[in-house]
Amino acid sequence: MLTQDNLQKWAPLLVLVVLVVFFTAVNPNFLSIRNFARIAIASTPALMIAVGVTFVILMGSIDLSMEGSVAVCAVLFATFFAALGGSLAGPGLLAVPATLLVGAVFGAINGLVHVKLRIPSFMASLSMGFVGIGLSLLITGGDRILVEDPLFRSLLTVRLGGFPLMTYVAIVALLAGWFIQNHTTIGRNFYAVGGGEDLAHASGLNVNKVRVICFLIAGVFYALGAMLAVAQIGIAETVTGRNLMFVSITSVVVGGTALWGGSGGVWNTLIGVLIVNVIGNGMVVIGLPSYVQDGVLGLLVITAVYLSTDRRSLSFVK
Amino acid sequence: MSFIKKFIEQETINRRNLLLASAYGLSGAAALRMFGAGAAHAAVENPTIAWSYRDRTNPYWNYIVYGGEAFVESLGLPKSALVNLINEGSSEKSLADVKALLAKDGNKVALAIDANDAPNCRPVVEAVAAAGAHVSTIWNKTDDLHPWDFGDNYVSHMTWSDEGPAEQTARILFDAMGKKGGVVHLGGIASNNPAVERLNGLKNALKDYPDIQLLDAQPADWDTQKANQIMASFLTRYGDEIKGVHCANDTIAYGVLEALRAEGIEGMPVVSYDGNERAVELVAKGEILATVFTNPYWGGGITAALAYYATIGAFKPSDEPHEHREFYGPTILITPKDALDFKAKYLDTNPTYDWKDFWGPSNGPIQYKS
Repeated sequence: MLTQDNLQKWAPLLVLVVLVVFFTAVNPNFLSIRNFARIAIASTPALMIAVGVTFVILMGSIDLSMEGSVAVCAVLFATFFAALGGSLAGPGLLAVPATLLVGAVFGAINGLVHVKLRIPSFMASLSMGFVGIGLSLLITGGDRILVEDPLFRSLLTVRLGGFPLMTYVAIVALLAGWFIQNHTTIGRNFYAVGGGEDLAHASGLNVNKVRVICFLIAGVFYALGAMLAVAQIGIAETVTGRNLMFVSITSVVVGGTALWGGSGGVWNTLIGVLIVNVIGNGMVVIGLPSYVQDGVLGLLVITAVYLSTDRRSLSFVK
Repeated sequence: MSFIKKFIEQETINRRNLLLASAYGLSGAAALRMFGAGAAHAAVENPTIAWSYRDRTNPYWNYIVYGGEAFVESLGLPKSALVNLINEGSSEKSLADVKALLAKDGNKVALAIDANDAPNCRPVVEAVAAAGAHVSTIWNKTDDLHPWDFGDNYVSHMTWSDEGPAEQTARILFDAMGKKGGVVHLGGIASNNPAVERLNGLKNALKDYPDIQLLDAQPADWDTQKANQIMASFLTRYGDEIKGVHCANDTIAYGVLEALRAEGIEGMPVVSYDGNERAVELVAKGEILATVFTNPYWGGGITAALAYYATIGAFKPSDEPHEHREFYGPTILITPKDALDFKAKYLDTNPTYDWKDFWGPSNGPIQYKS
């Protein structure tokens, strides 16, 4: 049934389909497996970051630490990896769990600063992001670390059904995110806190604990995103996470997850990430002049958010 | 984790210098007014040597600083004697740092600086001249500002002309493409001067190659990730029409090469700019056909040296001809056949430069377009 609720629920997907049809009409090359694979490669690291921050946004908080967190994770991953022999076939594999741990610790500190020092998540996470950038700069001295192991790079170079392996890694992680969100107590608690923190607290939920765990889980996803970003270009550096804050938050919101918490989820985020990357790819593919691209991106984001969020239930927007 | 300790020690010293500068500010400035003016052009011993620049996340600025450190070591001083003023891309911070340093040390400052953007160069130079100190600038300066208008205090300005070398790399690219087919350009931040010049160089070369077509030029903002995504989009739009790629710098080329690798495309001619170590290695392997080295190590050292030797009175800038006060820095074209020699000479070990040979490696007087 085509009710307003239904329309809003499916609006992000509709926007995505309209964009694909539009770009294909202007340049038929757009609609090809090869191009979709290109969009997928560009989307993969951003999707991991966006899934992580989706949980935080579901709680009605915000996490802006991803650029710093990704920088630290990417640089430490490359450092561990090189120190452990530089091959996924050997002990280098241990760099993967080690990096996930780094992400978790970074996220947990982020959450603890927010909860224990009672600093708004906006400010706490933004500051932690700066700490992360500084830390990665300290580790690298501004240099880049190359990761050239062919086995690791096969995430990009080896394809299955037209798509590189890293896409499948991202899909598995997305499913894990969906599982956490729908089938675990902590996942449901994110919605409870986001939907009404007072109520959740009154029902005996340890809200602070939920918050710290949420930031920790987000940190693990950032670590995963960092490793996929390194797989994408083979370089770990302080600016590995550049621009991911804007892309991930925009994707979450465009996908229809409400910034005030309590509604949305990882599938919305998937659609959001695809919308943002389809726009980015499509604008070059149809030959839009570079100086209008940023403006068009902004307008399309406003349109997508307008269509996909239900503002009737809001008395005011802050 | 000794590098952390070392870094913190260095930063503590730098920070302390700057704090002292601020605290000392008012009294220092007042004293200068009473005694300073008459002695402004007299030789000064042991001046504070400072480098002001954007950040340390970029190999280019790292090499500038290594050069500056090598110069202070040539004076028998420790590396930490070089005061680092980091503006983080802010012209306001750049000027504020300089003023704080001048307030502390007055005319005993030998400053090397990239003023972050062209309009900021004038207030920096005026502040230095007012304090009777000495400054040498690189890159950013408006065309109406000249060292010779400030007596001895504005020692020199060095910049690099990118149009010619970018044209040379384009010619190498076109020849490798068999002088026909489509080429794409991935540029720097659209408003940056080097980005404009490097695209112009490509366009100049196009005039001599009627069968080469410039398919598209998009700004990739000097960014590897962005370049990677734009190159992927170019492949969708133009597909097999693309026979060669002209990149505005090495970090962009890295992103392009990875986009090609993801598609399994091998042997696509790519040229680049900057001569970073990694890029030179790729040139040696033939994955990049050419890059251009601007020798930031020498630039960092010689700019500090010019300011220093003018400050101690080793030479009098106003006695020098104009081409010794505004000049182009060196550019070296690197191609696969000379890449290994180049790497051994310039990158594996930094050559020992004579920091008193101010103009030897430079590249002629700056030409202004009217």
